[in-house]
Amino acid sequence: MKITTKQLTLCAVLTALALALSYVENMIPLGLLIPLPGIKLGLANIVTVFALYALGPGQALLILLARCTLGAVFAGNLNALLFSLMGGLSAMLVMIALSRLKRLSIYGVSMGGAAAHNCGQVAAAVLTLGNLAPLGYLPLLLGISLFTGTLTGLIAGLLFRAMEHTNLMKA
Amino acid sequence: MKSSVKLHFCRWDLIVAAAILLLAGGLTFGYWGQTVSAAGSGLTAVVSANGEEIDRVDLASLKTAEERTYTDLGYTLTVEFSPDGVCVETSDCPTQDCVHTGTITRAGQSIVCLPARISVQLKADVGQAASSGDFDVMIG
Repeated sequence: MKITTKQLTLCAVLTALALALSYVENMIPLGLLIPLPGIKLGLANIVTVFALYALGPGQALLILLARCTLGAVFAGNLNALLFSLMGGLSAMLVMIALSRLKRLSIYGVSMGGAAAHNCGQVAAAVLTLGNLAPLGYLPLLLGISLFTGTLTGLIAGLLFRAMEHTNLMKA
Repeated sequence: MKSSVKLHFCRWDLIVAAAILLLAGGLTFGYWGQTVSAAGSGLTAVVSANGEEIDRVDLASLKTAEERTYTDLGYTLTVEFSPDGVCVETSDCPTQDCVHTGTITRAGQSIVCLPARISVQLKADVGQAASSGDFDVMIG
């Protein structure tokens, strides 16, 4: 994969943005409203959706891997790496597949990604705990992913509309 | 930009939403269906750490609420068992999801503490006393 300096810079900025969004997300006490382990808005997924369409699957994957690895290193919790990688990679694979279906909008792709992210994280929880107890949370998490996926799709869409007026996205 | 992107919600997106709801419904039926069929029987709380069962409490045998403490991976959870259900009273884990889960009362429900890798799951009793401490006399 050949990456220009401009693309590399954009990848670095998007990685930093994804890390910042992950950090901000941890300050939102969503778990108090819906007490489910690992429940999040998935704000960092906005960057993944944006990168997938703007830069392509290869670079979106690089940003995801950098975000997951750096996030776990900064948090000092390597156990978190398994969760973010399994969730992130599941979401990425599903979104790559769905983005090839031209009839779907950014909302459908984002919802599918959010649902796959939850499936990946529950799978990581099952592996970590060594029992199937976390599976009981999955139906509710999938229901919530419709909301979180729509939210991230909406924000990523707004980002695309804002970027239309700039020349940043031109090769 | 690598590929064109549709920015308006369309009816095809509803198919993705329906597929997710279908999956959620199927999982609910598969996982919680067993719970409903087991309703009416007694409950046993099974405590596991790192995938291994470390304690088992027959809730029907309890007269009053009882607190037990479990420690794993440097985190300590105080779990309250009562005839009505189970809850995590206190935990020094960073997320506190286990405490916020509240009281679980039905078979199939669970409380998970991911940082401590401890889970408490309610299972329907199969009619056998779970705790050996409940026996007065053992024959044979």
